[in-house]
Amino acid sequence: MMDLFLQTLANALIQSGTYALASSGLALAVGVLHIVNFAHGEFLMVGAFVAYWLSVLAGIDPIVSLVPAGAVMFAASGVIYQASIRRVLLAPELNALLLTFGIGITLQNLAVLVFGATPRVVHTAYQLTAVTLGPVSVGVAPLITLIVSVALLAGMYAVLYRTGVGKSIRAVAQNRTGAHLVGLDVDRIYLLTFGIASALAAIAGAMVLVRIGASPHMGFGFVLKAFAIIVMAGLGNLTGVLWASLVLATAEAFVRTYVPGGGGAAEAVFFLLIFFTLVWRSWRTA
Amino acid sequence: MLEVRGLEAGYGKVQVLWGLDLQVADGEFVALIGANGAGKTTLLRTISGLIRPTSGTIRFRGAEITGRRPAEIVAQGIAHVPEARELFPLMTVQDNLELGAFARPAAWARAAQTLTEVYRLFPRLSDRRLQIAATLSGGEQQMVAIARALMSRPEVLMVDEPSHGLSPLMVQAVFAALREVSQSGVSVLLIEQNVRQSLRLAGRAYVMENGRIVLQGTGRDLLESPHVKEAYLRL
Ligand SMILES: Nc1ncnc2c1ncn2[C@@H]1O[C@H](COP(=O)(O)OP(=O)(O)OP(=O)(O)O)[C@@H](O)[C@H]1O
Ligand SMILES: [Mg+2]
Repeated sequence: MMDLFLQTLANALIQSGTYALASSGLALAVGVLHIVNFAHGEFLMVGAFVAYWLSVLAGIDPIVSLVPAGAVMFAASGVIYQASIRRVLLAPELNALLLTFGIGITLQNLAVLVFGATPRVVHTAYQLTAVTLGPVSVGVAPLITLIVSVALLAGMYAVLYRTGVGKSIRAVAQNRTGAHLVGLDVDRIYLLTFGIASALAAIAGAMVLVRIGASPHMGFGFVLKAFAIIVMAGLGNLTGVLWASLVLATAEAFVRTYVPGGGGAAEAVFFLLIFFTLVWRSWRTA
Repeated sequence: MLEVRGLEAGYGKVQVLWGLDLQVADGEFVALIGANGAGKTTLLRTISGLIRPTSGTIRFRGAEITGRRPAEIVAQGIAHVPEARELFPLMTVQDNLELGAFARPAAWARAAQTLTEVYRLFPRLSDRRLQIAATLSGGEQQMVAIARALMSRPEVLMVDEPSHGLSPLMVQAVFAALREVSQSGVSVLLIEQNVRQSLRLAGRAYVMENGRIVLQGTGRDLLESPHVKEAYLRL
């Protein structure tokens, strides 16, 4: 009884790492550039496929591939930013929404066209091993993805709160005009932030590849949940993202374990959480 | 030092500045007064690169800086204290101030020294250096805005209506600080609705109406001018 409970908690913790990684990039783009990037899930998908092909063609371990996956998406998002995003930043929000939605759809269809729609999986030795801690057993692969997520999120916090670049990013997020007036290169900071956010998505993609697999449509589910998480966290609140990821993953894990036939219901939990968050907020402010 | 000639600028199709001429010499304290909507803020925003002019030139120390980006203008040594203060609301006073020196290497190298100087200028900020900017009073926020601009060790300081919304005591503190800044050799371009005080403070002054300069002279001359008395000093 207790064992099942602890195991469920462990599963939730692992999943929350991936959620936090996938959502913090989205939260960063919302908080700093004030755009909602609907292509974020497809950036995650691109990262998964980069890691997949590097594994198949070059035999590179998909965990190691988080570096090239992040680098590819960092560079690609730079091109996307210069060619399109920066042009809609000052336009009404709907423009950025439609633009990123279009980018997402395009990437998804390109992936279907080039890679086919069948899901892909990678095989590594450590996917078959698990570590046991008392009653709880956790696969080595998921455990590594959790460690990577925690390390990267800690790194992101260190950059944002301990470095000059991070301070500039926070300054731009808090007041764009003020940032201009102290002489910060706002456009370059937007470019850099969008790059970091996109790289985080791609790295999350590589982690999902290790745990589950890759497919052209994998981004959609993650972006929906990432939206739920940043809504729960409060738009642009990065610390809140960690808590919200934990809440969502825990709720899903418990529904999956304790609700009969809960596998399907777990996928709808994010929707309930958005609903209750919004209702609660409207009550509190009413 | 700062020389504006035939400047025209506005917002989209709405033209606000109509061939404006203005100069600030080295070390000079210049006041610019004018009614609401005359275009004073628009002028400062154009000089600091937030708005691109449609025609005219802005020169600084002989070099043309028209249409440059704000980062380049700040790097040249022109600092703008905006009407709306534009602080970083969730950061501490000290973080706000440090960011003022951040983008100008020469200023960044001396940031610690400048920080001591601005805290001496505004002792009130020194007591509140770890307070979050959004929780400061309006007057304290104005002080942070001025201090942040000074952190870039500018040669020209442009200040947009610093007395706006401040209690008389706070206005005195801010004006005293501006006088001290001016005496340290920094050129000051001050925009004010507080006409009597700013004309007393300024060596030279301009009167702006409908996007043009209509009158200029020494502060004393303008205080005596019938037009200024009639339009700006009537109680
Ligand atoms: N962002 C904007 N978009 C369109 N028009 C604007 C904008 N900002 C200012 N204006 C217009 O430009 C004109 C000049 O405004 P500006 O703010 O420069 O005047 P001001 O002299 O600073 O006035 P005040 O003393 O009230 O601050 C006004 O008619 C104003 O309506
Ligand atoms: Mg104004």
